[in-house]
Amino acid sequence: MTEPVLKVENLSVDYDVGAGVFHAASNVSFTLPPGRVVGIVGETGCGKSTLGQAIPRLLPEPPAVIRSGKIIFQGTDLVPVPKNKLPMVRGTSIGMIFQEPLNSLNPAFRVYDQIAESIQIRHWREIGDLPMFQPGPTPFDYSHRELPKAEQVLTKPFLPGEKVQEAARHRLVSRDDYKREVLDYLRLVRINDPETILHLYPHELSGGMRQRIMIAMTLSQKPTLLIADEPTSALDVTIQAQVLTLMKELIEEVHASILFISHDLGVVAEMADDLGVMYAGALVEIGPIAEVFKSPRHPYTKALLRAIPSQYKTDGPLASIPGNVPNLSRLPSGCSFHPRCPLAQAICRADPPPALPDTPHAAACHFSDQVASLP
Amino acid sequence: MGRSTSDLLVFLGKRLLQLLPVLFGTILLTFVVTHVAAGNTACARWYPHAKPNVIAHCQAQFALPLYTQFFNYFTQLLQGNWGADQYGTAVFPVIASSLPATLELVFAALFLMIVIGIPLGVIAAQYAGRWADHLVRVFYLSGWATPTYVGAIIAADFLARGLGLPSGGEFSTTSVPFPRITHMSVVDALLAGNLPFTVDALSHLILPAAVLAFINMGIATRMTRTSMLEVLPLDFVKSARMKGLSNFVVLYKHALRNALITTTTVLGVEAGALLAGTVVIEEVFGWPGIGAYAFAAIGGAGRPNFDGAIAVVVVFAIGVVVANLIADILYGVLDPRVDWR
Amino acid sequence: MTPTPPSPGTPIPSSGSPPIPTAPPAPRVPPAPSVGRARRTRSGVVGLYRVLRANPLSFIGFIVVTFIAILALFVVFAPHLVAHYGAQQETGVYNSGPTLFQWPPSLAHPFGTDGASYDIFSEVMLALPTDLGIGFAIAGFALIVGGGLGLVAGFWDKPGSLSGYTSSFIMRVTDVFLAFPSLVLALALVASIGKGTIQAMIAIMLTWWPYYVRLVRGEVLAVKHLPYVTAARAAGVRETKILTRHVLRNVLEPVIVYFTLDIGTVLVIFSTISFVGVGVPYPSNAPEWGSMMSFYQENYPFQIYWWAITFPALAIFVTVLSFSLLGDGLRDVLDPRSRRALAESGAHEPPPEANVGEPPVLPVPAMTAAPSNVGVDVGGVP
Repeated sequence: MTEPVLKVENLSVDYDVGAGVFHAASNVSFTLPPGRVVGIVGETGCGKSTLGQAIPRLLPEPPAVIRSGKIIFQGTDLVPVPKNKLPMVRGTSIGMIFQEPLNSLNPAFRVYDQIAESIQIRHWREIGDLPMFQPGPTPFDYSHRELPKAEQVLTKPFLPGEKVQEAARHRLVSRDDYKREVLDYLRLVRINDPETILHLYPHELSGGMRQRIMIAMTLSQKPTLLIADEPTSALDVTIQAQVLTLMKELIEEVHASILFISHDLGVVAEMADDLGVMYAGALVEIGPIAEVFKSPRHPYTKALLRAIPSQYKTDGPLASIPGNVPNLSRLPSGCSFHPRCPLAQAICRADPPPALPDTPHAAACHFSDQVASLP
Repeated sequence: MGRSTSDLLVFLGKRLLQLLPVLFGTILLTFVVTHVAAGNTACARWYPHAKPNVIAHCQAQFALPLYTQFFNYFTQLLQGNWGADQYGTAVFPVIASSLPATLELVFAALFLMIVIGIPLGVIAAQYAGRWADHLVRVFYLSGWATPTYVGAIIAADFLARGLGLPSGGEFSTTSVPFPRITHMSVVDALLAGNLPFTVDALSHLILPAAVLAFINMGIATRMTRTSMLEVLPLDFVKSARMKGLSNFVVLYKHALRNALITTTTVLGVEAGALLAGTVVIEEVFGWPGIGAYAFAAIGGAGRPNFDGAIAVVVVFAIGVVVANLIADILYGVLDPRVDWR
Repeated sequence: MTPTPPSPGTPIPSSGSPPIPTAPPAPRVPPAPSVGRARRTRSGVVGLYRVLRANPLSFIGFIVVTFIAILALFVVFAPHLVAHYGAQQETGVYNSGPTLFQWPPSLAHPFGTDGASYDIFSEVMLALPTDLGIGFAIAGFALIVGGGLGLVAGFWDKPGSLSGYTSSFIMRVTDVFLAFPSLVLALALVASIGKGTIQAMIAIMLTWWPYYVRLVRGEVLAVKHLPYVTAARAAGVRETKILTRHVLRNVLEPVIVYFTLDIGTVLVIFSTISFVGVGVPYPSNAPEWGSMMSFYQENYPFQIYWWAITFPALAIFVTVLSFSLLGDGLRDVLDPRSRRALAESGAHEPPPEANVGEPPVLPVPAMTAAPSNVGVDVGGVP
């Protein structure tokens, strides 16, 4: 088994704000094998976005603090990396798609310039002008800078065309080559006639288009790991469907490793191979998505699934989970979910649940086996 | 989207047209403010040592109905007849030859404010709430709290000696071996290809420009800081970081480009403050611009130069209006969402 | 029943409010150039305390301002307590002969004396209430006149109607007045109505009120279209009640900030005008720092008699700096743009969770077309 692309071990992230210390992530651990899509779901405020942005160390460090844990990306722990070396990991190794495409594209630059900038960074790294993250024992040592092996660069299967392969062997200097690549990536995200939008500004495009451009921009750097932070939450449903279809096709073409964060169970159900459920900063359940849906091992997951308004329930009140999500600065003792859990026992208030076992489908509950066997 | 070149011309044209009523209002207001007093006392005050026929002429002017006065005033203004001081020296030529020196000073100060003030604002935003932010704040608020003359005197008397810089005038010598084409010291020396004099002119320019910039630095720095604070948490900054760009590029290419949009809005205020500051600075540093001219026109005891003072007021007001216009145009250019039609 | 995988578009039902509070200032609202906000629910005093505590500089400013205010009160009501080191006419002691400049010994004359044996410390103290009063008067005038006009221009704003024309007219006049730097207009005024303190004050007043018009009008316009105001109107709340309750409260906050800052700014400008020779001549019974400095600068060479100019200058500097520190710190918390900006900055940023559904925040070109600029944060002050 090849080593996982991403292995998060006991990651705890706190926010040190004047009003208190918010435990946005508590002891989160999971693994992302290469080529798989792991979905993380949770309500607003459960810590999933924090997790997503903590992995490439994108959180502003003064209020956010990584208290403990490791973020092992391709064998290297990212937590102790000094801030000035972080840009090397981002872009070509880890890419990110954000939620609100108007905000995530620079409003002052044209589409062409933004994508071309991404491509330029990637090219400079490939030809050694800029330091690039190399997985291995000395990941940031670029004293052995040499032209990367073309095979390494080119075996990623989503290179759009032959001509681009040729160009990557040599130094790209001409504007035409950049333009060709930009157009190729725009076509990759299923934008017809991409020449017509190159000169436009983000505010002149529709939401779905912007999100596609965002995806093209990120993919053009050929990242090993792609983190999608609620990429469709700001789109309306029809556009959402289009973008999701696109992403699914790309996943098949690209064999990317994706961490897909969403609050929408339906979206995640379409995209993910594994599902992780977060509650109050903790990862309460993780496992293959079909299994999690079929027999959840955590009461929260079970209650969630039951609470979804489904088409075959025509009468009676909607099932909901009583109570409120706890304030992250004042987490309940023991298991964070115990005040709202219908199966809570004394031990749940006293002791935190055991750490997630190594099984493929695991839950952080004292009674996970019993929950799994419930109807 | 209305942002092609022809649209730009339309945009400029519209803005210029809007300029005219404000200019007119400015001149009107100047006129009202200065002619509000009755004729007798005013005339005696303006021309205390003048010949009786001058005073009589002045009083006759004031006896006319107001709109006639204004009409005369306006037409004379347009014709370049801006009056004379009480000794008969025409005002307009003096102003025309002194204005470039003031412009040189103001542009130099503006340059310093941009080159120092804007990065300071970025730093303050980057380290908001921490000691770097506090330092920047103390810096620009100290500048703001320093009266212009205090700063000028300190600079001219102490800093000049301490730094080995000259403390007055445009050049070290009273006459220069090249023609004064533009009346701007550095420009003239450059045009004449005279390097030693260019350096000399620069060394004379730097202190007054620095004082002027220091005092007014806060306007730009504060606005940049606020703007950057609004821009930094936005997702596109995170996107830029995720592209693998260095912190410097993210801040100065991506974030600042958007933050500058609102910073341009204070350009008009800056221009007004800078122009007002030149009055004292030029006087203390012996810089031959219209600020010094205005200072002498009013401040000099017993030698008031009424027409000269009015002329300077009009010129300054026009300067501020033009600066506002430029700021408006800059805003329209920098913010891609502004439609030029 | 086996739950079928839900289809896209069914978000997780969220129970209750987000557990992570947004930073002390308000929830996010769709922006205008200067965005109003939900009313702060904290009471004024507690809010002020938090404000001051947040920024050590503004706290220092607050302390110094309070000290100066108390000092001014002393000077007004009990001058002999403060300025007792030989008040203005200390005859008999130094009468004999010329040139009695003394170095500033610590006990007898802390700031030294000048040639006419005026104790400079007393002079500086006596000038304190004058200068403070001038600052308050000018800023207050600007606030009332400018604020009033801004309210009118903001409320009666329907384009194409009489109210629209009124508002337009007010804004054009404001633009014209805005074009004059204060010192410059003071020169013009002096030429026509002569020198004097009142003339100088009028000059600054005339050039200062426009800033408040733009500030207040911008605030009113921003608040007028906020969802909760529209909701109040739809619920049938009377227009005047909306005006007083919602709009005024929101308008008051940035106005207070600028007023505090302006006291300092106006003081500096007034003293500069005095220095140029327009203000009250010195010596007089009501000294003023700027005119003191002008007099000393002319008559006493700075190299030898440095204390004559230094101490009034220091007085101005400390006063203005403390007011500015206080106002600048207040602005971080009260001014809608700065407050929102600081709330979203790293200093207080809540976790990314709270950013769901946030619309773009870049400022939009403001409503006032006109040659002058967009934006409301453009006071005459930084």
